[in-house]
Amino acid sequence: MPRKMLMTLALATVIAVGGAAFAQPKVVSYPGLGMEPGTVGGTLTLSLADSPPTFMYYGQIDNNTQTLTGVVFDSLVEFNLETYAIEPALAASWDVSADGTVYTFHLREGVKWHDGTPFTSADVVFTYTQIITNPEARAGDAAQFVYTVDGEQRAVTFAAPDDHTVVITLPAPSAAFLLQQRFPMMPKHKLLQYSVEGGAAQADINNAWSTDTALSDVVGTGPYKYDSYVAGQKVGLVRNADYWKVDANGTSLPYAERLDYLVVRGNEAQAAQFLAGNLDTLNISGAQFPDFKSREVAGADFRVITSPALFGSPPHVAFNFDDPTFGAWFSDVAFRRAMEQAVDRQRIIDDVYNGLAEIPGTPTAPADGTFYEDTKSLMLPFDLAAAGAALDALGIKDTDGNGIRNVPGGKDLEFSLTYNVDSGTFTDMATIFQNDFAKIGVKANLVGVSGSALLGTGLAGDYQAIIIALGNQPDPELRKPIWQPGGSLYYWHRATQPAEPGGAPNFDAMATWERRVYDIFDQGTTLVDRDARVALYKEWQRLNAVNVPVIMVAKPANIAAVHDRVGNYVYNLGVIPGYNPVPLYYVK
Amino acid sequence: MFAYLIRRVAIMIPTILLVSVVCFVVIQAAPGSFTDRYLEDPRMGPEAVARINAQLGLDKPLYQQYLRWITGIVTKGDFGFSFFANRPVSTVIGERLFWTVVIAGITMLFSWVVAVPLGIVTALRRNGFTDAVSSFIGYVGLAVPDFLIALLLIALVLQTGGTQVGGLFSPKYIGVPWSWEKFLDFLNHMWIPILAIGTTGVASVMRQMRANLLDVLNADYVRTARAKGLSERRVVNRHAVRTAINPLVSMLGLSLPELINGTIIASIVLNLPTIGPLLYDSLLAKDQYVAMTLLLLASALLMVGNLLADVALAWVDPRIRYD
Repeated sequence: MPRKMLMTLALATVIAVGGAAFAQPKVVSYPGLGMEPGTVGGTLTLSLADSPPTFMYYGQIDNNTQTLTGVVFDSLVEFNLETYAIEPALAASWDVSADGTVYTFHLREGVKWHDGTPFTSADVVFTYTQIITNPEARAGDAAQFVYTVDGEQRAVTFAAPDDHTVVITLPAPSAAFLLQQRFPMMPKHKLLQYSVEGGAAQADINNAWSTDTALSDVVGTGPYKYDSYVAGQKVGLVRNADYWKVDANGTSLPYAERLDYLVVRGNEAQAAQFLAGNLDTLNISGAQFPDFKSREVAGADFRVITSPALFGSPPHVAFNFDDPTFGAWFSDVAFRRAMEQAVDRQRIIDDVYNGLAEIPGTPTAPADGTFYEDTKSLMLPFDLAAAGAALDALGIKDTDGNGIRNVPGGKDLEFSLTYNVDSGTFTDMATIFQNDFAKIGVKANLVGVSGSALLGTGLAGDYQAIIIALGNQPDPELRKPIWQPGGSLYYWHRATQPAEPGGAPNFDAMATWERRVYDIFDQGTTLVDRDARVALYKEWQRLNAVNVPVIMVAKPANIAAVHDRVGNYVYNLGVIPGYNPVPLYYVK
Repeated sequence: MFAYLIRRVAIMIPTILLVSVVCFVVIQAAPGSFTDRYLEDPRMGPEAVARINAQLGLDKPLYQQYLRWITGIVTKGDFGFSFFANRPVSTVIGERLFWTVVIAGITMLFSWVVAVPLGIVTALRRNGFTDAVSSFIGYVGLAVPDFLIALLLIALVLQTGGTQVGGLFSPKYIGVPWSWEKFLDFLNHMWIPILAIGTTGVASVMRQMRANLLDVLNADYVRTARAKGLSERRVVNRHAVRTAINPLVSMLGLSLPELINGTIIASIVLNLPTIGPLLYDSLLAKDQYVAMTLLLLASALLMVGNLLADVALAWVDPRIRYD
């Protein structure tokens, strides 16, 4: 009998025997990622950059809360770790109506909350109606569930015809809807008292599960349960023996018996804790790579793993189209194309990222097998002479002999370049830009702001040029507020934004190509035909490559250091809902 | 004395109120807003951010925000709530208070126990070998910031194959009940912050003690004591040191606010769960009521410390009377 068939048979037996007592299992196996069946037991220690502000995912936008939520809670659907395709999770399967507006989710049977209460469709409807679409939940997503159809605002509706079925009805088809349903599901029996349904005010949901709550009240359906929390030091979790995922051998996941998150602030302190053996894995930067790699080569008991990144944030340089002094130039495609040739991407990849980055997409990640369009041939390479000539052609020449070019009318082309001082990577990059710009007679004055204030500075329009990194996602729809002209994060051309929040964007301010990009995103939202969507978004990337709304610089790779005692390692940012390889890690 | 105490406490109240206004103004003057953290998240539109601003009371005029906070403190002992943690500021600070006091207490004790005798010895053997070595170490300790010493110690521990590179315990002892092994593990971690943070204190206290004692040793009454035929030991211990230590008592009072803001960077480098990093984070994130409460607490501690120092001074120095 072929091996595959044997395996299927064995699995069927597991399902038949174990299925009734335990949950309807999902078999998880990634031979393509080099995964092998592991063993149950041991303690894994990972790092947390700071104490979580709360255990309530929807109460605060915070990386640490998100990381913990990823191992304690599940969502209806999740990513395939290898292909980023959407797969069943708490929803074992689903049907979509022919017109793409009715989604029927069939929930996995036998799933239990950590306190033993059965997970049902009531929990799902509760999570959507009382938390996610609650406009006062600080990390909810209410706007996602209100559609504008024929100029009228209409809400998505949720129904639970039986304990294991949830029907979600959309006012109009939505191409990325399934992808967006990676929301952690919350227990109704624990959170009812904080919801409107339970008699509380809308904003009260944010007060649920603060970090001084008894951990026995913070229950999910996920692979790990909360066990202990010591503020500023450690979050301890234990294995959920009733979890619904199994490996190819039928061993139930997760593998590690205990999962500790050690609170370690700052890159250096985390590196020290890792090198001392107190952390099992650590995400590191390109700047830290040489140190870790040389230790590995010298025989240390860990390995450094790199892989192309899909998630993660590629930096770009933006010029403020609305700048009162130079806006007329900054909003001119020819000017931005000239400056693009003064951006030495390869040097930044080599020197700043130690080679662990690649030429970025515009802006889709090259690792995205579906939407990425290779626009390298459209992007202009580093060529200072050509950059200078292009500026000459625009009439931007050094007319007063002070070494700085003058825009027609006489003013020196001297502007501020704002960057994040908290990051060595950005500081190095800013200096390289400043030097190269100076070589073509363009004076950039560096203005450092703290990382937390960077995007706020951009959104307020309080800059002339700026270096910012915004993340990639597996579907451009998820990044629409950034890249659609008039979007709330389309910060380099704020004149396109609506006069009133939620109103129509200012089409008059858009250039022809911006208007086309706007339409592409509008169509992409509702278009259900996948090939047609891919074609649209590829057109957008080509438009971006030649019109350079921002100059994309580099796409950093994933880099992690992993101790030899850890098996089945897959790179993990921790904060991406529905992407969570931790249950597969095992202690050798 | 009692009337004096009442007077001092009465003066403290308007001072603290004034300080609270200054704290509020300084924090408002810093760029950015707490809700900046929401902007990049794809879930957050401008409407959602506006709603959160309203929830947090950030849409109200500044004077109203301030009045609400200060009235809460005066009438209910309520220091506001942390925007970040969604709970009262007092509980956020409270959970870090224990380790803050313990670490500050131990390091301060270390500094004083080492520094005062060293100061005495170097004063007595002025310009000798001991003086030269101690002074050298003292100056280096003063010049090198505590976080740098901490980083060097961590590098040293790593180099020698140790695992105690930050924090107070090894991971497996965090959150478990106290035991002898846990205590040993604690000591094994604690020497790094003690040395790193304490060394800076040693230097300043030692130099102060040395200078004071040298002044006193040249005083007339010390010469008189010697002329009376008292043993040198008695002259130094009973007559000189007792006087020379007085200014240090005031120094002790002034070092109380260091509980909060004295060791921010070292605490971050050493990964200590103290109040310092909390202040740092709340200032960066503009979690305004946490930051304001901590700044207010620091200035209150300074005033209380001063008062305690003055009272202690009266107790140790018979020449000082406040009535």
